[in-house]
Amino acid sequence: MDDAAFWHRLQFAFTITYHYLFPQLTMGLAWFLVYWKWRALRTGDERYAAAARFWAKIFGLTFAVGVVTGIPMEFQFGTNWSGFAKYAGGVVGQTLAMEGMFAFLLESAFVGVLVWGEQRLGPRMHFLAALGVAVGSWLSAYFILVTNAFMQHPVGHTVDGGGVLVIQDLGAYLLNEWALIQFAHNQAAALVTGTFAVTAVGAFYALRGEHTRQASMYLRHGTAVGLVATVLVAFPTGDAQAKIVAKYQEPALAAMEGRFETGPMAEITLIGQPNVKERRLDNPIRLPGLLSFLAYGTFHADVRGLDAFPQETWPTNIELLYYAFHVMAGLGTIFIGLMALGVFQRVRGQLESGRPLLWVLMLAFPFPFIANTAGWITAELGRQPWLVYGLYRTDQGYSTVVSSGDVLFTLIGMAGMYFVLGLVYLYLIGREVFHGPDHPIQPSPYGESAEAKVTIG
Amino acid sequence: MLTMFVVLDGWDIGAGALHFLVAKTDPERRQVIAAIGPLWSWHEVWLVAAGGTFVLAFPELMAVSFSGFYLALWMVLWSFVLRGISIEVGGHINDSLWRSGWDFVFAVSNVLLAVLFGTALGNVIRGVPIDGSGMFSMSLFTDFTARGRVGILDWYTLSVAVFATVLLSAHGATYLRLKTVGPVHERSVRLARLLWPVTAALFVVVSVETSVVRPELFQAMFQRPLAWISVVVIGAAVWALATGLRGRAESRAFAGSCGVIAGLLAGAGASLFPVVLHSTLSPEHSMTAYSGATAERGLRTALFWWPVAVALALTYFFVIMRIYSGKVRPSQDTQGY
Repeated sequence: MDDAAFWHRLQFAFTITYHYLFPQLTMGLAWFLVYWKWRALRTGDERYAAAARFWAKIFGLTFAVGVVTGIPMEFQFGTNWSGFAKYAGGVVGQTLAMEGMFAFLLESAFVGVLVWGEQRLGPRMHFLAALGVAVGSWLSAYFILVTNAFMQHPVGHTVDGGGVLVIQDLGAYLLNEWALIQFAHNQAAALVTGTFAVTAVGAFYALRGEHTRQASMYLRHGTAVGLVATVLVAFPTGDAQAKIVAKYQEPALAAMEGRFETGPMAEITLIGQPNVKERRLDNPIRLPGLLSFLAYGTFHADVRGLDAFPQETWPTNIELLYYAFHVMAGLGTIFIGLMALGVFQRVRGQLESGRPLLWVLMLAFPFPFIANTAGWITAELGRQPWLVYGLYRTDQGYSTVVSSGDVLFTLIGMAGMYFVLGLVYLYLIGREVFHGPDHPIQPSPYGESAEAKVTIG
Repeated sequence: MLTMFVVLDGWDIGAGALHFLVAKTDPERRQVIAAIGPLWSWHEVWLVAAGGTFVLAFPELMAVSFSGFYLALWMVLWSFVLRGISIEVGGHINDSLWRSGWDFVFAVSNVLLAVLFGTALGNVIRGVPIDGSGMFSMSLFTDFTARGRVGILDWYTLSVAVFATVLLSAHGATYLRLKTVGPVHERSVRLARLLWPVTAALFVVVSVETSVVRPELFQAMFQRPLAWISVVVIGAAVWALATGLRGRAESRAFAGSCGVIAGLLAGAGASLFPVVLHSTLSPEHSMTAYSGATAERGLRTALFWWPVAVALALTYFFVIMRIYSGKVRPSQDTQGY
């Protein structure tokens, strides 16, 4: 791979990784908002309305950053990956356009209403706005994941006379087996991010002894949903994801596990450092037979190692792929334990008084972001060296007319801007959290307009 | 689709570019942001949707033009990011220093966007140096002439940029006139009455320049029925605008303003068609709508769901407009944002 391809990849990796920090939180929080709005509507209890109001502010900020960091992504297909846009645009453009038209429009139409429209709309309409935002954001994720699934496991296309991809069967493309599994796995993981954020804020207030009723609610709801979500991430969705990788991307599975040699009773690696030059795993601690079982359902199945594949089909960065996968899987396992402990303490009635656990829950919120990012690194590095798996290589896809210097220029500019954006975001979120949820409805910053007391429905 | 975006976001951009001219005090500036605040992300969504449709319908055109305009496009993206942040973040802390800083970012990024859109339009009309390989790559500027190995900026594209900036500002002033009361309203009225005649004058200048750079376009225009329709639309819109500006018919003026922009874009598109990217080096390298488009099968597939999506989008549009209808007053309390 030459220089330019490296800078193009680094730029895309950076912008998309940064972008995805925000949608995973909004997708995770969206259903909390729907649930609290629904409870507020049914019971009339101010506690639920206050919780929804508080989290809607955090949601709104996160959503805004998600939008501004998301806009460049779509254009990068044209600016930095023009080869890919030419080759696969006729297929992946379908879902990119659908995402914009069906999902994103729905979501952003109602997010302003959700954050600032509580007074203007009745409680019923406001609940519907929350529902619209939640459905829109998850639908958005589905279209994007169909696009990614096509790159991981292309279906529903043909190659036309000019050598570019054309959509053949829209149904097969939209219901790609890979997309369904990836959607389930990814959305469960986004829910984990949301539950850890809710739990962490609850733990923070509980430790400070303020907003106690809200804190108790965040802790209860956060750990309950958290336990379900963390389990769902591992089983059945993570398990299904591993099996589908074993089925369609064998070299990726071998690299994820640092498996250089083929053989039965394949072991799962807990710890170890891949040494690609010597083709072995240094200092390994392994559990025999488990990988065979997880991938193929029997302990004796033969799992092929990297030696079974020609080197030009190996993932290009085996070390990072290996660590990304292990960080994700390791953190996922710890999350289940942590949330199970939280639920256990709650059943014993000691969740809000046990300070050590509250400290852990408060400080744990960054880790789902790390696990989600590691998961995506696993998916995307596992796909290498292909841009569209088995059809189109990554080093064919970038814009040849754009020089490395231009790419680095924009990458540095983007990094600087995103750094400042990140500081501003963290500052504002911190401010909201310190400000707390127990406050009456705030006036909209967009001003109240006298003639605009329109209520619909 | 793209027209929709320009008309919608045009008023945000125009209003934003006028930010410091129209609103002198802090509450007044709040009022301007309030007039576009709830809607901006929604308008930008049209851009994202248009971008997606663009990949779908014209993958090759997108690939060639976006990588060719690389640096300019990134500046557009940066301006979008900055503008979005300044609207969202500026109102979060009730501190005059914090707010005036973001107000500045807001105004600058909007002016930049208007200039860059104008430049882009200028480039599309003038043509770009596509060579035998079917690709092109342009530096930001070369020798500022509009022939041969051109850069993104030259005398022609710059003058289109000035025209577009004034046009969008006039559009924004017309929008603010409709949406506000008080001193901001007064200034918007005056600005709209000043900027529209300037726009008209610049339009004549740009037309003359266009006939020098691309003389064949005007001939093409007379042969295309769609171009005729757009001329009629512009005529009607100008009438609505002129009468609306003189009297009190603020909605009519705004409708006229939208019509002018839509008509101009449609007219330009119709005259260019079927060439979508003209080559300044040699006409046979130009990219046409047919060579840039996706295979027919893909488009036909898209036709199944696209109208449904547009219908849905328009429904949201009316719901949102209804919710946010009415005038925005200068806010008395500065509490809470």
